[in-house]
Amino acid sequence: MTAPAWDPSQPLLEIENLSISFFTRLREIPAVMDFSCTVMAGEAMGLVGESGCGKSTVALAVMRDLGKTGRIVGGRIRFKGRDLVTMGDAELRGIRGAEIAMIYQEPMASLNPGMKVGAQLAEVPMIHQGMARDAAMTLARQIVADVKLPDPDRILRSYPHQLSGGQQQRIVIAMALMAKPALLILDEPTTALDVTVEAGIVDLVRELGEKYGTSMLFISHNLGLVLEVCDRLCVMYSGEAVETGPVSEVFAKMRHPYTQALFRSIPLPGADKTSRPLVAIPGNFPLPHERPPGCNFGPRCGYFETGRCDAAEVPMALVPGGDRHGTRCVKWAEIDWAAPPAAAKQGEKTPVGDVVLRMEDLRKYYRVSGGAFGGGAEKVVKANETLSFEAREGETLAIVGESGCGKSTFAKVLMGLETATSGKIVLYNQDIQDIPIEKRGVDTVSSVQMVFQNPFDTLNPSMTVGRQIIRALEIFGEGRSDEERRNRMLELLDLVKLPRQFAERMPRQLSGGQKQRVGIARAFAGGAKVVVADEPVSALDVSVQAAVTDLLMDIQRKNKTTLLFISHDLSIVRYLSDRVMVMYLGHVVELGTTDQVFAPPYHPYTEALLSAVPVADITVEKKRIRLEGDIPSALNPPPGCPFQTRCRWKPQVAGGLCETEMPPVRDLAPGHHIKCHLPAEALNSMEPVIQIAAE
Amino acid sequence: MDPITWTGSLGPFLNPLFAALTAALAISVLAQILLSFFTGPGAEAQGDGTLAATRSPAEMAAAASRFLVLGLVAIAVLYGVQGFFSADPARQGIFGAMAVRFWPVWVALIATFALSIRFKGRLGLYGKLFDSPVGMAGFAIVMFWVFTAIFADTIATFNPLSQVSGMRNAVPGSFVRGQEGTIYLLGGDDLARDVFSRMVAGARRVLAIAPAATAFAFMVGITLGLPAGYFGGRFDTILSFFANLVLAFPVILLFYLLVTPEIRVTGIPIILAAVLFIFPVIFLCVLWNSRYFTDPKKRNLYVGITLAIGLWAYSGLAFNLDPLGVWSMEPNLLNVFVSVVFVNAPTVFRIVRGLTMDLKARDYVSAAQTRGEGPWYIMLWEILPNARGPLIVDFCLRIGYTTILLGTLGFFGLGVSPESPDWGSTINSGRGLLPILIMHPALVPALSLMSLVLGLNLLADGLREESLRD
Repeated sequence: MTAPAWDPSQPLLEIENLSISFFTRLREIPAVMDFSCTVMAGEAMGLVGESGCGKSTVALAVMRDLGKTGRIVGGRIRFKGRDLVTMGDAELRGIRGAEIAMIYQEPMASLNPGMKVGAQLAEVPMIHQGMARDAAMTLARQIVADVKLPDPDRILRSYPHQLSGGQQQRIVIAMALMAKPALLILDEPTTALDVTVEAGIVDLVRELGEKYGTSMLFISHNLGLVLEVCDRLCVMYSGEAVETGPVSEVFAKMRHPYTQALFRSIPLPGADKTSRPLVAIPGNFPLPHERPPGCNFGPRCGYFETGRCDAAEVPMALVPGGDRHGTRCVKWAEIDWAAPPAAAKQGEKTPVGDVVLRMEDLRKYYRVSGGAFGGGAEKVVKANETLSFEAREGETLAIVGESGCGKSTFAKVLMGLETATSGKIVLYNQDIQDIPIEKRGVDTVSSVQMVFQNPFDTLNPSMTVGRQIIRALEIFGEGRSDEERRNRMLELLDLVKLPRQFAERMPRQLSGGQKQRVGIARAFAGGAKVVVADEPVSALDVSVQAAVTDLLMDIQRKNKTTLLFISHDLSIVRYLSDRVMVMYLGHVVELGTTDQVFAPPYHPYTEALLSAVPVADITVEKKRIRLEGDIPSALNPPPGCPFQTRCRWKPQVAGGLCETEMPPVRDLAPGHHIKCHLPAEALNSMEPVIQIAAE
Repeated sequence: MDPITWTGSLGPFLNPLFAALTAALAISVLAQILLSFFTGPGAEAQGDGTLAATRSPAEMAAAASRFLVLGLVAIAVLYGVQGFFSADPARQGIFGAMAVRFWPVWVALIATFALSIRFKGRLGLYGKLFDSPVGMAGFAIVMFWVFTAIFADTIATFNPLSQVSGMRNAVPGSFVRGQEGTIYLLGGDDLARDVFSRMVAGARRVLAIAPAATAFAFMVGITLGLPAGYFGGRFDTILSFFANLVLAFPVILLFYLLVTPEIRVTGIPIILAAVLFIFPVIFLCVLWNSRYFTDPKKRNLYVGITLAIGLWAYSGLAFNLDPLGVWSMEPNLLNVFVSVVFVNAPTVFRIVRGLTMDLKARDYVSAAQTRGEGPWYIMLWEILPNARGPLIVDFCLRIGYTTILLGTLGFFGLGVSPESPDWGSTINSGRGLLPILIMHPALVPALSLMSLVLGLNLLADGLREESLRD
C-alpha cells in the first residue's frame, strides 16, 4: 500500500463538486451541494457559515466519517492526488490520524478520561509508525512542550480531568500533531473556551502551522477568528459555498450579497445602537428540504430579482483580477458594492432616568465542605467580593467577564435564588438582599426578570409556547380571566415580533432565535423593570444575533427597562451598552461608561480582554497581548490582587504590592473606577488596543 | 376416538415444507455469521460520483434468511387460517381450532392497528410506534394478550375449574369423553381441567394485577423521587438509604414474610397498603394545586374531585371499608399487590431521582424559579413531563418484570388460591408431570408468560428507539 508520489506544488486537498446527503426514513436531505475548494500545502483554509450550513459535514466527509445515514452522492475529494471517496476502509485507517487529523469542539470529549495523557499521546505514533514506546513518549514530551504547556512531565502523568479546558484543547492539538499530519481539520476548536484562552489557542494554531508547514481546514462561525488564522476562506450558506477567495480580498471586496449582509450584521468597532445600528438579515435560514429554486439566499437577499435569481442553479463565477476569488451570484457584476447600507432606522437614545437598582458592597461566599464525611477543612469560595454599582432606568449596564468571574452568582443573588452573605441590594428603595424569592412579593419578582443564554434550554420542551407565556402571566397575577391572559399573551408575541400562530407551537418547532424571542416575551410578561440578560445572543447565529439584540433595544426604549447585559463578547458590549463593568474572580476591576472602558487608561485585565476578542475587520489594528496561564480557581485565589498571576504590568508596581495587598478602588475620571495598584504614569502611558487604520 | 392433529388437513403438505424451510434457515443464518468475518463494505462509490452496490455473500445470506423467515410465518398463518374454512375439528387441526376460538382477538387487533396506522401522524409517541417494526411486533403481542384477557369468557372452551372424568393428563387435541364434539385443545392437566381454558383465564388474572401494581409503584417512586432529586441533601440521603435497604433485601424472603399468616395477623400488609395506596391521592392533589393555585375555583374543583374519588377508593382498597362495596380487594390479592408495589417502588424512585437531578439544571427550570414558582410546580409540571420518555420505556419493561414476579409468586403458591388459573400456579402444578414426560400442562403457561414479557420488552425497545428520534 505505497502511496503514489505526490508533487508538493499540486493541491494537498482538492474537493470537486462534492455533494453529500443524509438519508432519513422520510426523505433524502441534501446537506452539501456542489462544493469545491482547494487547499495547497501549508495553506490555512477557513470554512465560515451559520449553523446548519454544512461546514462540519464537509469536514466529516474529508475524514469519510459521515455515519450510517450520510453518503457522498457526487463529486470527488482528492488528498495528495488519491481519491478519498472510493478508498477502502483499510487504506482510510492509514490516512486518518496519520495524514489527516481532526480537532473537535469539546476537548474533554476527544480525550479518553481513563488514560493518562502521555499514554494517549504515545499511542498515535505507536499505531501509525510502529514506534517503540520509549521513543513515542520522548516525542510526546517534545510535542507537549511545543504546544506551550508548562511542566510537560507532570502533564504527561496526569489524567485529562486534572487539566483545565484550555490545557485539554492543547493536548488534543498535540495529539493531532503527534503523527505530523499534512492536513489538520479544526472544527470550532475554541468555541467551548473563554476568550483569553481562545486567543492563546489561536496563536498556537497559527504558529504551529508555520512551524510544521501543516495545511489547515479551519471551521468557524466567527469571522474574526478566521481573519486571524486563515489565508483563504470559503463562506457557506445552506449547503453551498457562496464565496471563496483570499481572506484579505473577501473581507475588503466581498462579492456576494450574503457575505456583505453577514458583515453588516456583526458589531464591528464603529457600530453604535443609535447612530449606526446593525442590519439584521431578514427571514430565516431555509430548511434543507425546503430550499428555494435558484439562489438559496434569494428570499433573504436585498438584490433579489425575480426571473433571474430564482431561474436556475447559480454556478460559481470567478471574479476577474482576484486570486481564485469566486462568487455564486448571478448579479455580482451589476451590484454597486461600495454603496453604503440603506439607512437603517435610527433609534433614539433612551433617556437615562433615576437609580432603579443599587448594590452596596455585596458579598456572596459559598462554604464547601472538605470531605465526604464532613472531615477536612471547610473551604470558602468567594464568588462575589465588594460589588458596588448602581443602574438607572432605561440604562444598559454590561457585565463583562470570563467563566468563574462571579457574574452568574451575582445574577442569582439579584434574582433571589440565593441570599447575599453581606452588603445591600436596593431595588426601588427596598432592601432585597436577604429576601429569598419565595418570600418576595409578586411585584418584586415580576419586576426583576431574566433572559437565559441557551435558546435550546430556555423553554420547556413539552409545553406549547402560548401556555408558557400564559403561565408567567398567571404567576404574576396579570389579567383577570383566562380570556384576558390569552389576549395579553398574543400581544406579547406581537411585541417580540413573532406571528400569533406560534402560540400553539411546541418549542421544538421553533428556531434558536425564535425560542430566544419567546424567552424575552416571557421575561417581560409582568412588565419587568430590570432584566438580567445572561449572554442572550451568544448561542445564536450571527445573522440572528443582530435581530435579537435590536429587539431587546426596542423593548428597552418602549418600556424604559434597565438592562443588565452579561456577556464575554466585547464587540456586542461596545455596541449596545451605556456603561460597562468588568469582573475578574468575583471582583469588579473596572467600571465606567463604554467610552471610558474601551479607551486607555485600562485596567490590565480589560486591556488583555480587548486584545483577545477577534475582530472581523482588516482595517483594525490590534495590539497583541496574551495572558499566560488560566484563570485561578475561586477556591484558591491568589493573595493580593486577583489578577496578579497573569498581569503583564506587575513589574511596574513598586515593592511587590500586587502580591500582598488588595488594590483599592480608584476614581480615574467621574464615574470611572478601577481596582489597580498601577501608578498614574503607567496608566497614562497605555496605548489603545484597537485602532482603526486610516483609510 | 384419536386426538386431532396439530396441523389438520394441510399438515401432510405443509409439515415437510416447514421442516425444510427451518433447516434452510438454520444453514443461512450460520452462513451469514461465518461469511461476515471475511467481507468488507457493500457499497462502493464510482469515479463518476454514482454508487454501485455489490452484494457480498454475507448480505446474500442475510437476504435468504429474511425470505425464509417470511416463508415460515406464512406457513404458520396458513395453519391458523385453515381453521376458518372447515367446521370439522379433525380438518382444522389444533392450531386452526385455536385460531377460530380467538376470533374476537383478531377482530380487535385488526381494528386497533387499522385505526392507529390511519391516524398515526396525530398520535404523538404512540403513533410513532407504528414506524418501528420491532415496536409494532411488541405492541401486537401485548395487545393479543390484553384482548385475550378482555374476551376470556368468549374464548375459553370450558370453565377453568371444571374437571371432566377421564381427561386427566389428556394429550392436546383429545375429544372430551361424554361430551360429543368438544375437545381439550391443549390437553388436560393432572386434575383433568382444560389447559387451554386455564391459559386464557390466567391471562385475565395476570393482566389485572401486573399493570395496576406497576402503576402504583410508579406513583410512589415518582412522588418520592422528584423531591429527593430536586432538593437533594439530607432528605435525599435518607430516602435513598431506605430505597437501597429494600433493594438489598432478598425479594423471595420478603414475599414469604409478607404472606405468612403470623405476619398477616400483625397487620403489617394492611399498614403497608395504607402507606402505599395514599401516594396516588397525594400525587394528584399536589399536581392540581401547584398548577391551579392562582385560580382557586378551578383548583378546588379538581382537588375536590380527586379527594372524593381517591379517598373512596382508598378506604375500599386498603381497609376494605368501602360503604358502597364498589372498591375491595380480597386479602390474598392485597398481599400480592402490596408486595409487588413495595419491591418495585425503590427502583422507580432511583430512576426518577436521577432524571430529576439531570433536568433540574436546565434553563427552563431556572426560568420557573426566577418567576417565583413553587418547588412542586417545577417538579411536576416542568421536570416530570420532560422525563416521560425513559419513564414510559421503564414502565413497559417493569410490567414484564412484574408479570414474571407474579409468576414466581404463583409458582411458590404464595398469596393466591391453589386452584387459581394464573400462569405461575399452573406452571407449578404442571411441574410434577415433567418427570413422566407430560409437558403440556407446564409448557403452555410458560410459553404464554414468555411471549407476554417478550412482547413488553419489544414494545419498550420500539418506544425507546422512536422516542430518541425526532
